[in-house]
Amino acid sequence: MNCYLCGNKMASDPSWRDLFFLDKPETICRLCRDSFEQAPAGCRICGASGLELCGECSHWETTEFAAVLDSGKCLYSYNPAMKEFFHQYKFLQDAVLAEVFAEELAKSIKKTRAVAVPIPMNHLKLKRRTFAQVDRMLEFGGVDYLHLLIKNEEIQGEKTREERRETRGLFALNGHPLPKKIVLVDDMYTTGTTLRLAAKLLKDAGAEEITFVALIRA
Amino acid sequence: MKELQDFLLGRIWLREFTPFPKEMIEQAVREGFVAVHKGITDGLQCARCLENGPEKIVAFRCARCAGQCHYCRHCIRMGRVSSCTDLISWKEPHVIAPYSHSFKWNGELTNLQQQASDELGESLRQNRSHLVYAVCGAGKTELLFPPLHQALSQGKRICIAAPRTDVVLELSPRLKAVFPDIIIHTLYGGSTFEKGFAQLVMATTHQLYRFQKAFDLVIVDEADAFPYSYDPALERAVSKSLKPGAPVFYVSATPSQKLLESVPNQSKIFRRFHGHPLPVPIYQPLWNYKRAFRSNRIPAKLVEWIKQKLEQQEPFMLFFPTIEMIRQAEPLFKEMDSRIEAVHSQDADRKEKVMKLRRGEIPGILTSTILERGVTIDNVQVGVVGADEEVFGASALIQMAGRAGRSSIFPDGQVIFFHNGVSWQMDNARKLIKSYNKAGCR
Repeated sequence: MNCYLCGNKMASDPSWRDLFFLDKPETICRLCRDSFEQAPAGCRICGASGLELCGECSHWETTEFAAVLDSGKCLYSYNPAMKEFFHQYKFLQDAVLAEVFAEELAKSIKKTRAVAVPIPMNHLKLKRRTFAQVDRMLEFGGVDYLHLLIKNEEIQGEKTREERRETRGLFALNGHPLPKKIVLVDDMYTTGTTLRLAAKLLKDAGAEEITFVALIRA
Repeated sequence: MKELQDFLLGRIWLREFTPFPKEMIEQAVREGFVAVHKGITDGLQCARCLENGPEKIVAFRCARCAGQCHYCRHCIRMGRVSSCTDLISWKEPHVIAPYSHSFKWNGELTNLQQQASDELGESLRQNRSHLVYAVCGAGKTELLFPPLHQALSQGKRICIAAPRTDVVLELSPRLKAVFPDIIIHTLYGGSTFEKGFAQLVMATTHQLYRFQKAFDLVIVDEADAFPYSYDPALERAVSKSLKPGAPVFYVSATPSQKLLESVPNQSKIFRRFHGHPLPVPIYQPLWNYKRAFRSNRIPAKLVEWIKQKLEQQEPFMLFFPTIEMIRQAEPLFKEMDSRIEAVHSQDADRKEKVMKLRRGEIPGILTSTILERGVTIDNVQVGVVGADEEVFGASALIQMAGRAGRSSIFPDGQVIFFHNGVSWQMDNARKLIKSYNKAGCR
């Protein structure tokens, strides 16, 4: 098989592990895998490197959004390799790339022992994009997920950081009964506004604990 | 509608991503001018790049067509083609009236160039394919001008396809200067929309995916170069872009055996335009160079060579087999002279760094094979680290050696192959260079 990213042929060393465990075959080569950078541990809420509670999160904690997110984890830094990957997956719509980080994402989610709730896409945008990139990763990772939210038309990616923080009313509940423990799943954590809007709505409606897992910390 | 026609003639384009309003396209389809094609055919082939491998045409659950859909991973960078995307083309073929176009070129060709140029003219008259096999620095571009003028005046639509954007960007202004009253479009990944119907198209080979039955002649420059030689899809793209029965002119310094055998009409120029022979590579053992770089050390023989170049103030290009090794080596060379720069394919400042070397602002450059062709620097000295590595085939070695001695003022630069044991490819390259020199002297 060839690497999904660089296209080079991958060496397939037969191993005892292959024989005894039904591991999913690798989708990208070792060199490509090594070009991604794991996000370092840091802020207990958003995972930003450095302080135990980062500047942005401590600011959030002084607002109406205080304590809506209990904790969170971002898996990877937004380094050049990840930028390239994300562009190819989300904007060039290379759907098979859902497989690349699916298992890692699934592992982090399963650790939380909470119900996985993906940040949804607006239905018009979903039609244009042709697939929901978060849902697809969860499916490949074998995670059962539950949609609780409906997203309206606004697109966060087209706004400035300030405009994003000012956003309200991005989501509505879809009416499904809420589980107590929820882990929100998104592809990228930038300012944390999207996740906090979702989390606040869910907590106000009665959810008890909300954590999140994002693939990338921008 | 005329604008849409100009744009779509000979093309096959994603319906969603044209520079024209949706309504205009709908009208053109309704009135029968524009044909609509399914992006992925029922036989699971991409209608744009003709890819049909099962690793490249992949299935996914699509929210737009609410079902199982396929898309093509091969040409995805040009905008994804899937089963539920439409491609459009203009139904009628183009018509160009013959017209004697102005030809602003008063260069002179050497006898050998002239002969090849005449032979191309003859192949054009006979409508047959042709290969120009000419050494690096023979002056291949100039000899194309007279036959190009001939073909353009006959009302032929022509595409010149080159493997790399750098080459396209260098050639395009020259063509515009020589053929000032022809509409010439320059196409590459990220190029902007140009108006009008282009009789002459200058494009990277990949861009040919977006044409079909468009050209009366395609000139494939550097016909052996990566990625063309490794990618059968690009070969299919060339034939798809041609009108039925139209010829291809191949131009190469290092044609593959397959090309030599498949194109019977050939012109050979084994002599540089300035008449001097090609520099013959010297072998220099560099035992365990990989381990040396890994332990942050430049092998002694290489230090010696670089020192000499720095002292004599001769610009140098030092080729490496992998980007990884360039990264290891860069800081070590910067310690010798902080102005030394490194480039590779993922380097956005590549062009600027090459310009600096050309202007003499930096003493030398460490590079991957990305600079193996299309680069001319006066008096440049060429070193290849790990010339025995598998990535360096004979043609790559010949191209790298071909960087040296290109100008008539400095016709004999040094070419040195640093190796860990002489490879068959190295010997083959050197033998070929010597045979060119021998044949060129006659």
